[in-house]
Amino acid sequence: MQINRINPPKNNGEIKFHLPRFTRFKINNGMEVLFLQKNHLPIIKLSLQINGGSRFDPNGKSGLSFLTSLLISEGAGEYNSLQLDDEIESLGTLYDPSTDNDVIKLSMITLTEKFERSLELLSLIYQEPIFSNDDFLREKKKLLSKIIQNQNEPDYVATTNFDKIIFNNSFYENSVIGKTIDVNTITNSDVINFHKKYFVPSNTKLIVVGNIAQAELESILNKYFISVEIDEVELQKAFSSKLQKSKFYFIHQENATQSEIRIGHLSNKRSESDYFAKVIANSILGGQFSSRLNLNLREAKGFTYGIQSAFYYYKEIGYFEISTSVNGKDTGESISEIQKEIAGLKVEIKDDEIDFVKSYFIKRFPAMFETNSQITVNLSTLLKFSLSENYFDNYIERITNCSREEIEEIIKNQIKPDNLIYLVVGDREIVFPQLKKITDLEIVELDVEGNRV
Amino acid sequence: MNEILNIKYEKHVLENGLEVVLYQDKSLPIVSVNLWYKVGSANEVDGKTGFAHLFEHMMFQGSKNVPKEKHFKFIEEAGGNLNGSTSLDRTNYYETLPSNSLELALWLESDRMGFLLESLTQDKLDNQKDVVMNERRQRYDNQPYGLAWEIIFSNLFPKKHPYHWPTIGWMKDIEKFELDDVIDFFKKYYSPNNASLVVAGDIEYNSALQLVKKYFDEIPKGKPFAEVSVTSEILTENKKIVHQDNIQLSKIYLAWETAKLYDTDDATLDVLSDILTGSKNGRLFQSLVFEKQIAQDISSFQYSASLTGMFIIIATAKPEVSLDELKAGIEEVLAEIIENGITEKEFNRAINTVKSSFIYSLQNLNSLANQINNYNTNLGEPNSFIPDLERFQKLDYVSIKIAANKYFNNPYVELHIVPKEVNNAN
Repeated sequence: MQINRINPPKNNGEIKFHLPRFTRFKINNGMEVLFLQKNHLPIIKLSLQINGGSRFDPNGKSGLSFLTSLLISEGAGEYNSLQLDDEIESLGTLYDPSTDNDVIKLSMITLTEKFERSLELLSLIYQEPIFSNDDFLREKKKLLSKIIQNQNEPDYVATTNFDKIIFNNSFYENSVIGKTIDVNTITNSDVINFHKKYFVPSNTKLIVVGNIAQAELESILNKYFISVEIDEVELQKAFSSKLQKSKFYFIHQENATQSEIRIGHLSNKRSESDYFAKVIANSILGGQFSSRLNLNLREAKGFTYGIQSAFYYYKEIGYFEISTSVNGKDTGESISEIQKEIAGLKVEIKDDEIDFVKSYFIKRFPAMFETNSQITVNLSTLLKFSLSENYFDNYIERITNCSREEIEEIIKNQIKPDNLIYLVVGDREIVFPQLKKITDLEIVELDVEGNRV
Repeated sequence: MNEILNIKYEKHVLENGLEVVLYQDKSLPIVSVNLWYKVGSANEVDGKTGFAHLFEHMMFQGSKNVPKEKHFKFIEEAGGNLNGSTSLDRTNYYETLPSNSLELALWLESDRMGFLLESLTQDKLDNQKDVVMNERRQRYDNQPYGLAWEIIFSNLFPKKHPYHWPTIGWMKDIEKFELDDVIDFFKKYYSPNNASLVVAGDIEYNSALQLVKKYFDEIPKGKPFAEVSVTSEILTENKKIVHQDNIQLSKIYLAWETAKLYDTDDATLDVLSDILTGSKNGRLFQSLVFEKQIAQDISSFQYSASLTGMFIIIATAKPEVSLDELKAGIEEVLAEIIENGITEKEFNRAINTVKSSFIYSLQNLNSLANQINNYNTNLGEPNSFIPDLERFQKLDYVSIKIAANKYFNNPYVELHIVPKEVNNAN
């Protein structure tokens, strides 16, 4: 039997999705907990989130937060580094410390039957790290080598230098892993003090997602997390970078076969009032595979394997960035095409583009709550940006109600051609003449560490 | 605990040979459609490498009833995500989307299985050639250490071996892809009898099967083709390659040909890699990174495929440390295991990690569907989580010593990636 394939089939009815509920409570030492019970599998995800990311690195000590997050699991309580690792691995528990610009996260994923022991070890890591000098010297040396190693990653060089340019003179200026000159001066006492100052209950939040009842969870948490006397966590000076006038920056990499391109500017903090309009506006431009930028530069021109744009958010500021990696000889034309797409976006967006993007975000909503780790990410977003308790309840409605006017307003006022900073990392001989051809602006040449050449 | 790994499923074979596995999980209103074609870079020939991977691109360029650019768009509009990947032996395509859009996914997958060639054009090919060349530049040529993988494969496996070349293909071959070759490749390998389809998630068995039949039944069976043949040539002496790259820290790679996918030794070597580098207590990590501090990092793994496998150790030297010193450090640790084996405690720690990782792997429907398809394609039995885990649980600590002796005494490929010599001519 031949079937009609000409039109795409229609959806089969409506789907039913019940948003899982989370609860918020405090344990005896004052630490706040966000908890979501999920019984589908015998697994629990834990994430301790310390408000102590790299923006809290003192002047001249970039990398301190990152180094602390590494050293904190080099032995705790009665266990030295290797013993502690052995204890965790024997449980089949996965432990993962990470640091970004705002937050240090100590995360675990464990089987329910191993939860209490895993939590006990996590509490030891958080409360009683050993910070031995041998471990410090070894990890510091490794960090210094890692900084060198990263200087040969074109993607890393572009991303960190772009941050350095747009966040100049602010606490978001340095890369999370720090600069050689700063890391050299960090001492073990710096790490110990950093831990003492920031790893305190009032400055930490815990997210738990998985197969456990709340009463049992509370009793286990209270058993292992202790109270500590603390000084007030000191406030930081205000974020200070300013929007800049358009300029080109260039970093040479010998024999690079591609050019890494970053284009963007500072933007405002995440706010619930314009967040969804920004998401929709950006999705049309470069937020998806079927976006204008990707359909042009990849699917029509073949200049790149992929291109994307986004409004990104740190806790205290946002930024807009387009990023791609293109064949060296197509660098100039790629930038011109990007400029054309931005200009075109300002001329017109179509109803079907808006509908398409809205449909995508509304219909993918249930899939955002699939794994324990995804739910943890959602809850940490809620915490990081102090979003309202019913943020997820209203999510679909907020997207649905986002008007064409709101989206056009974002495109008009939040994507600013005269303030775009352009950074290219590539081979000078191939790229420089192309840049000269497409711009009259000054082209500032930097080295891989961002110093003017 | 093992019982939750015992999955229920239905399996059917359509008249055209397409294998269909249905797996119901109603915990979320989503469905994963996962389609494996039993064709990978091993089916290519010298001089025409990269075809299997090129197809992973051409399959998203539209088909008879799906305009170019619309394949992604239909899925995204439905709130789904999608992708594909190519390996040595298979190419897979998958999408996860709200369960009320299952029919859309089946329509798209069947249209490109049955009716791709009607819409294939030279323009589409030329465009995706450029995209693939840029993918190659971005992921390999312009990445520090990015060529390591293809250097190792092409030295470990002789020129006639189907694993000799990289999956993405040699640049010189990508540059000269011809439309006729693309058409022939599709006709030969993209047929229902060379594929396995898994539909997993919020489905009803009967209606899901009816939908699969509706869209796939009419696609004709493909002609049989010759199986990939493997040369019996093996590495007879150690090979050392030194490659210069835009890097500052040197790396050493040691690679041995080992056991193939799902072989008993495949599991043994997985455990061995955990014991060597799986944690801070890993023998190699502890000795070279922790104690001697001559390595910046070290990793090892067993990489296995249908025809054969390889065990590889990769270490980055600290500044000022020579790769020969690093190699001597590695050899010392391996010699100790070859001589005295490992402890029961080390073995148990590794097995616990394997066991919990099986449970963790059940969380994501897309990867679960893919694993079910992996089992169906390679073992002929979709419900193989428990037998797979038992491959590990049946081992003991003595088996690790035996495997170390069996493989580490064989000839190997040694690759050094070192900084480019500085040219001081100017």
